[in-house]
Amino acid sequence: MATDLRISNISKIYPGCIANDNVSLQFKSGKIYALLGENGAGKSTLVKILSGVISPDNGEVFLNEKNLKLSSPLDAKKNKIGMVFQHFNLFETLSVFENLSIDATEDNKSLRVRINEIFKKYNFSIDLDIPVLNLSAGQKQKVEIIRCLLRSPKVLIMDEPTSVLTEQETEELFISLKKFCDEGILIIYITHKLKEVLSLCDEVAVMRKGKVVSVSQTQNEKVETLANKMVGQKLAKIKKKINISKNKDEIFKVKHLNFYSDDPFETNLVNLNFSVKKGECLGIAGISGNGQNELFQILSGEIITPNTSIIFRNKEIAKLNPKQRREYLMAFSPEDRISQAAVPELKIYENVALNNFKASNFFEKGLVNERKIKDHSKKILSDFSVNTDNVELKSQFLSGGNLQKLILGRELITAPELLICYNPTWGLDVGAINYIHETLIKINDQEKSTILISTDTEELLKLSDRIAVIYKGKLSKIMSSEEVTPEKLGVLMGGGSID
Amino acid sequence: MALYFFTPFIAIILTILGGGIIFYILGFNPIEALKFYFITPISNLYGFSELLLKATPLCLIAIGLSYCFKSNNWNIGAEGQLTFGAIVGGGVALLFYNQEGFYILPLVILAGAIGGMIFALIPAILKTYFNTNEILVSLMLVYVSKLILDYLVVGPWSNPEGFNFPETRQFSDSSRMPLLFEGLRIHAGIFLALAAVMLSWFILYKTYLGFQIKVSGLSLKTAKYAGFKGKTMILVVFMISGACAGLAGVGEITGPIGQLHRMISPDYGFTAIIVAFLGRLNPFGIIFASLVVALTYLGAETAQIFLQIPKYTGQVFQGMILFFLLASDYLLIFKVKILSLKKNELRH
Repeated sequence: MATDLRISNISKIYPGCIANDNVSLQFKSGKIYALLGENGAGKSTLVKILSGVISPDNGEVFLNEKNLKLSSPLDAKKNKIGMVFQHFNLFETLSVFENLSIDATEDNKSLRVRINEIFKKYNFSIDLDIPVLNLSAGQKQKVEIIRCLLRSPKVLIMDEPTSVLTEQETEELFISLKKFCDEGILIIYITHKLKEVLSLCDEVAVMRKGKVVSVSQTQNEKVETLANKMVGQKLAKIKKKINISKNKDEIFKVKHLNFYSDDPFETNLVNLNFSVKKGECLGIAGISGNGQNELFQILSGEIITPNTSIIFRNKEIAKLNPKQRREYLMAFSPEDRISQAAVPELKIYENVALNNFKASNFFEKGLVNERKIKDHSKKILSDFSVNTDNVELKSQFLSGGNLQKLILGRELITAPELLICYNPTWGLDVGAINYIHETLIKINDQEKSTILISTDTEELLKLSDRIAVIYKGKLSKIMSSEEVTPEKLGVLMGGGSID
Repeated sequence: MALYFFTPFIAIILTILGGGIIFYILGFNPIEALKFYFITPISNLYGFSELLLKATPLCLIAIGLSYCFKSNNWNIGAEGQLTFGAIVGGGVALLFYNQEGFYILPLVILAGAIGGMIFALIPAILKTYFNTNEILVSLMLVYVSKLILDYLVVGPWSNPEGFNFPETRQFSDSSRMPLLFEGLRIHAGIFLALAAVMLSWFILYKTYLGFQIKVSGLSLKTAKYAGFKGKTMILVVFMISGACAGLAGVGEITGPIGQLHRMISPDYGFTAIIVAFLGRLNPFGIIFASLVVALTYLGAETAQIFLQIPKYTGQVFQGMILFFLLASDYLLIFKVKILSLKKNELRH
């Protein structure tokens, strides 16, 4: 029987951000649909609504013209909507069969028969009796898929399924998905990888900033046109004056940066080489999860990699920890401001003391110099217009924007020669974003350098002098921002190549 | 914030109520029984001295553990560090068994602290350099140190005139903690505990080390980002913690016991974990908590005499304190919502 899934006028508003803005879409079985968009475009919110994890503020979901009330994941299961999330929900120490039998309704014997039927039908082969922890990422994903298939789903939603898969596993997955589709299962495929959309899907809906901006047949699309739709052509209104710094000194130079991790959710970095000139902003673009986390931690000294050379102001700093790097006048603003850059349970002045220079004398002879820290903190609060002057306030009572101002202030008040920041404006309102952008431009005007790792292309185009794209742990060639267009960035971010 | 320091009191009240119910089920008059448990033991001077005597090691160990727990290091092996401290300190005391001198006791105490410190360094080094789990290692080392003690008191260190009893010679008077009052067992070790409290308050709240411990406890990611020397800090907190446990051990053998034998501690090292959490890992809170928990030891002994119930009921009370503390923390922080879920809904 044909399946018809219709989403009608769905809206979901979070404080300070509209995740889904009046989204309407229609899906019919027999086709594979792509839902494409950048980070924060609203894909995940929509999927969570379909799987019953969150409820929309407005709007309805119809399955075969029946209005679904999806108030919990159980409702989604009941209505035969299956989900495979990016992060697996499996018990690592239990066997494959035990994982599959946990929420099964039949006895073990008939379950085994049914699983074997599925294996035969789709050419799967996994040993049912080994613990899940011995499986590869691709096999674990198959277990998740089988779990959905056992409930004979009408709709199967795949959330960024290839982010942990190898090329080979990706191909296998695509073959299986096409088979499911032929059997009448409606497949919704969520991704930000353009090539996958073109090779796998029949129809593509592009989301941007919570809205559906286009629905089209993939045969009429190319990598460039999709990139264009995904990133949006709207260029920043105030664009930074490009620094004409062709002949300036390089103050920061990275050579042979390699990183290898056993953790499948970390990205390996492959031979990154780049340099930053005085007064310049180097932008690093990319969809999140392509190695930005690892790159930031290596640049800040939280991860030390062997055989890498990092030269900063003519000194080799590759073996130094973050504190030592700060002494050479580097500063860092990580992406995660709530659990890394600052601790919400600590008072403002205690968070300020995290950036502890020898010269600042916060801790003389191992003792806390509370007065000095507090005076310093007050200066930060007023210089960076944080909307409080109470240094005893716990940081958890600051809004995201004010917390970010405090963090940037803490990092910048020591006049560093290089600031490395990672998604400095995520989740902030327009006012705070503007303030932070102006601040970042000001540092460059003062002949200090910045490295801006960001998933927000608009921000990168506005602030950077040169831009490179990171994709699957590899860095593209570095382009001057005059030659960069949103389309080019979009293509590179989606794994394509230009020229 | 106020609630945070208030929940330990709720836990204590619930423990007393729970104890009353248990006594009632066992067929005792609950009020009478609770009186035997919590009032009778400290109704005279001797009882009060015994309370302080038992609170001393608990307080010392818990203070040391607070350094570990505050910085996200789960040292569960204080009992082992106590035992090893007692072995090393006791070894020194036995060297001087027939000598007198003012210098002997400080040497013994120092040896005890160093012994505990060395023993705590084992899980710390394994954690920092080999990525082992400190909970397992420190816990298993408890049994190692107890077996070493067992071997020593039965074998090489047993009293040559002791008719093969598993115990060493009596220490000389110069290796004994001075008693504070004639006829009472409370000894100078209590000053060690109080000094540890003062010093720890200063270290934890006024020094760079304390700041690093606090930040690491709240967010390891932040500690890494700030560039704290994580490995050094792990070693330092384990050493402090081990030294405190070692001091507690040496305080016991040079105080009320006066020799080494198999049973030098009624699991003070484990009970101190409860003390540390009941005291909210705050040095002054720990003083209060050690007195409360010490009372459960005394109450259990009185109850054994007057009510003929085993003294292991003390452990029941200690368990209840921890249970109610965790439960009230949980219930005060989270809101409980009761959802109705029909059985057939689950089946789909």
